[in-house]
Amino acid sequence: MKYYIKLSLILLVFCAVASGILAYVNSLTEPVIRDRKAKEEIATRSELIPEADFTEAKFADGSLYYIATSTATKDTLGYTFIAAQNGYSGKVQTMVGVDNNLQVIKIKVIDQSETPGLGANCTGDAFQAQFAGLGEADMLVDKDGGKIKSLSGATITTRTIANSIAAQIAALKSARGGR
Amino acid sequence: MNFIKELSKGIVKENPIFVIVLGLCPTLAVTTSVDNGLGMGLAATFVLICSNIIISLIKDITPVKIRIPIYIVVIAAFVSIVDMAMAAYVPGLHKALGLFIPLIVVNCIILGRAEAFASKNSMMDSLADGIGMGLGFTLSLVIIASIREILGNGTWLKIAVMPKTYEPMLVAILAPGAFITLGFLMALMNMMKEKK
Repeated sequence: MKYYIKLSLILLVFCAVASGILAYVNSLTEPVIRDRKAKEEIATRSELIPEADFTEAKFADGSLYYIATSTATKDTLGYTFIAAQNGYSGKVQTMVGVDNNLQVIKIKVIDQSETPGLGANCTGDAFQAQFAGLGEADMLVDKDGGKIKSLSGATITTRTIANSIAAQIAALKSARGGR
Repeated sequence: MNFIKELSKGIVKENPIFVIVLGLCPTLAVTTSVDNGLGMGLAATFVLICSNIIISLIKDITPVKIRIPIYIVVIAAFVSIVDMAMAAYVPGLHKALGLFIPLIVVNCIILGRAEAFASKNSMMDSLADGIGMGLGFTLSLVIIASIREILGNGTWLKIAVMPKTYEPMLVAILAPGAFITLGFLMALMNMMKEKK
């Protein structure tokens, strides 16, 4: 009995030291990572809709989207938002820029953990370019009768991205009062 | 002398994939393209070397009965540190390798070497073992990935190597292709061994 208590205590010490080290490293790196993520988000936004200023706005569920207004003329150019849904092996996050008619201007997959070589190819330019000009109703993969050519071996990933964007456009529509 | 011997054995004689047959899950999963194979190999090598060093250092204070959970704690802690440090200070590298880092925790080569080697040998030998095994692992991944990427995509390291008329054999980069390629390579290794 005493032996087992000793073993547990040793294991406890190891775990405590390890978590202590991890907590320390995390406290050092977490602000740096958060800072970098925020900077990246800003950079991505202006890549999607260039020469614009962005104002924060909220969807009905409390998540954020941004209204893009032209830096020069102050006209509303469109909106950017993050569309996220679970793909084949984790959340796929796509930043999307749409114009005033809710047609996609450009998309960029910003975070994904899909299968390398298959689903992970969704970060490729050729794949992302084909979303340009599509609206909510066009968010269909070729296998489901739509225009989006799915990645070879990764229909699920492609469908996830299309569905997540369609859902966010619908949310944006209701946020604008059904227009 | 011993250092060199421990280092070189991982590359052919005790190759972790073709001979010891460890760590097959990441091997099959990431060898769809050469850059993925290389990334996984190098990231695993780094963690393997570090965990081998630490485990050989703590071998005298590790009770035999609970050595496995202790190794797992050490490896998981290491992987998390590498993950966080890379995300914060070398984001470019983290973007390329980030996907593989969580996979390393469950890579049984690392636990296997901790159990079979580092827990019984000195720090220097464990260091050599880690480097050798890591290189052997990386090399094997690159070989498998080369075959699969050339056949399945017509490219090598994203550079087109096959003639334009070549119709990529998609099955090679899908899961069955991984098993078939690995099977043929193992058969080839065994054949060469028997000839000797």
